[in-house]
Amino acid sequence: MSNFLNLIWNEQIKLYARKATWVMFAVLLILAIGGGLITKFFGTESDFKEYGDDWQTELQAENAQLTAEMENDEFGGFMNEMIITENNYHLENNIKPQPYDGWEYVLENSFLTSVISLFTIIVAAGIISNEFKWGTIKLLLIRPISRTKILLSKYVSVLIFAFTLLVFLLASSWLVGAVLFGLNGLNPIVVQDLMPGFVQNDVLGEIVKSYGFGLVTLVMMATFAFMISAIFRSSGMAIGLAIFLMMAGNAIVAFLSQYEWSKYILFANTNLKQYMNGMEPMIPGMSMTFSIIVLAVYFVIFMGAAWAAFTKRDVAGN
Amino acid sequence: MSKPAMQLVNLKKTIGNKPIIKGLDFEIKAGEVFGFLGPNGAGKTTTIRMMVGLIDITEGDVLIEGKSIKTDFKGAIRHVGAIVENPEMYPFLSGWKNLKQYARMVDGVTDERIKEVVSLVGLDKAIHEKAGRYSLGMRQRLGIAQALLHGPSILILDEPTNGLDPSGIREIRKYIRNLAEKENVAVIVSSHLLTEIELMCDRIGVIKNGELIAIEEVKTVENEEALKEVYIEVEPMDTAKAYLDNHLDNKIGVGSKELSMSVKREEIPHILKSLMELGVSIYGVRVLQATLEDKFFDLIGENTIE
Repeated sequence: MSNFLNLIWNEQIKLYARKATWVMFAVLLILAIGGGLITKFFGTESDFKEYGDDWQTELQAENAQLTAEMENDEFGGFMNEMIITENNYHLENNIKPQPYDGWEYVLENSFLTSVISLFTIIVAAGIISNEFKWGTIKLLLIRPISRTKILLSKYVSVLIFAFTLLVFLLASSWLVGAVLFGLNGLNPIVVQDLMPGFVQNDVLGEIVKSYGFGLVTLVMMATFAFMISAIFRSSGMAIGLAIFLMMAGNAIVAFLSQYEWSKYILFANTNLKQYMNGMEPMIPGMSMTFSIIVLAVYFVIFMGAAWAAFTKRDVAGN
Repeated sequence: MSKPAMQLVNLKKTIGNKPIIKGLDFEIKAGEVFGFLGPNGAGKTTTIRMMVGLIDITEGDVLIEGKSIKTDFKGAIRHVGAIVENPEMYPFLSGWKNLKQYARMVDGVTDERIKEVVSLVGLDKAIHEKAGRYSLGMRQRLGIAQALLHGPSILILDEPTNGLDPSGIREIRKYIRNLAEKENVAVIVSSHLLTEIELMCDRIGVIKNGELIAIEEVKTVENEEALKEVYIEVEPMDTAKAYLDNHLDNKIGVGSKELSMSVKREEIPHILKSLMELGVSIYGVRVLQATLEDKFFDLIGENTIE
């Protein structure tokens, strides 16, 4: 076991000794700060509005004013209607509207998990093929350690790296959010406009959910890139294929959705959010359990292929 | 002799339908430097890759300290230190951190041991520089350091003098001899350069087209009994030739200034003494060494790659 930890430690050292890795962290930080500044200076005014103790009256007054505006301007009505619906939700459920805060900013930044996916794919694609490119694979594989263990240590290292990026994104988003927008307590309630209508949840739960769902795509695509890297020993191919599929995945599914078997496509299942909050799944007949089973099968295939390629094949000509 | 450090048993490798290695059988003893000689493409590197488990063995086996690399990879490989082809390192890590990588992969390699090995290969000054800035010679040294870290009883060096300057080659040769003689390490050195192998090895295995065609003790080349071509520059030539014709069985060759003859080494002083007593002036004596090179070319003939 200590041996395995040493292998992971070795991988982390190799990763952080390269500038490219630090650039990834820098990009995430810039995105977190930049996004915060844009929201702060170009965000909708109503989001930041603070209400007093008599917020019910304030909301009713606001609604009245918005309705009046809509009567005068028949085209600008859409935004107003949305705000009125939201205000009514607050009134009906007796939730005091809170101004936009750092927690909500963290929640919004969950879309950046796709950037983490991208970086993780790059690392997963290189972690095996680079050893071949550098020629160091020969020195790595002539130690008294099985190839399976080396492969596993590399895979675990990729996951640790993804997790580190995730923690870094959460921490920097939270800090930027807290500094720019302040915090509404430790775990405030957020009201979100989801497909079937408005819902209220506590913010930490929402953050865990939306980042967690982002992780599904991340892990699957990183595993895919890892497999390609192990089979073809080329990082370019692994990065290219994985990123292409990640970007085009939804389009592929949409294109093929007329066929019954399209629900078995990986990308039809990576977005587990489709089953939350009573939304309609992409293809009828799918369920959370179905998707989890499909994902598990893909995962086993990816890892199995990577293992077979890495442990069985000759290391020659490098 | 003691039991062999490494044993190749009918080792074969077939890629597709093509036999690359056609059944190698030999052993390497502790404390000996074994030269693995052959033209490019003869199968040296393929054999070495099988020895260290980088490629699968089609048939036969490699036994290291009695353990099979096929069935007991970990047990066998822990006795081996190796450089396979070029000594490639992580260019973005310092020499020291490169060594630390490998030190973490085996038990019991302390920082003191790393320092010891580093000074053995003479890299103390540059060890904290990035390996990417090393010259080929320095990388070769770092490669040897990496192979020695865990105190292996078998050291496999694939073309260790590649890219080294003459003084570097001399040093490497000294380390290798030292390791074999003082630490009783079995060293396997592959090369296509004869003179190299000749200078540092005790025994040489010659491989051609995947077959071992000869195993020679290097010393046999210096055999006292072997006949040598001796050229003597003399004056007058007639007197000398007449004397030699009478006293030697072999035919005497006549050149423009020299007489040539095949004699045993021990006869040379005798012949010279007799000639001088005859009053013949001797201006020079050349002994043409029957070198390994001659043997090598006799053995392998033309360098054909099948």
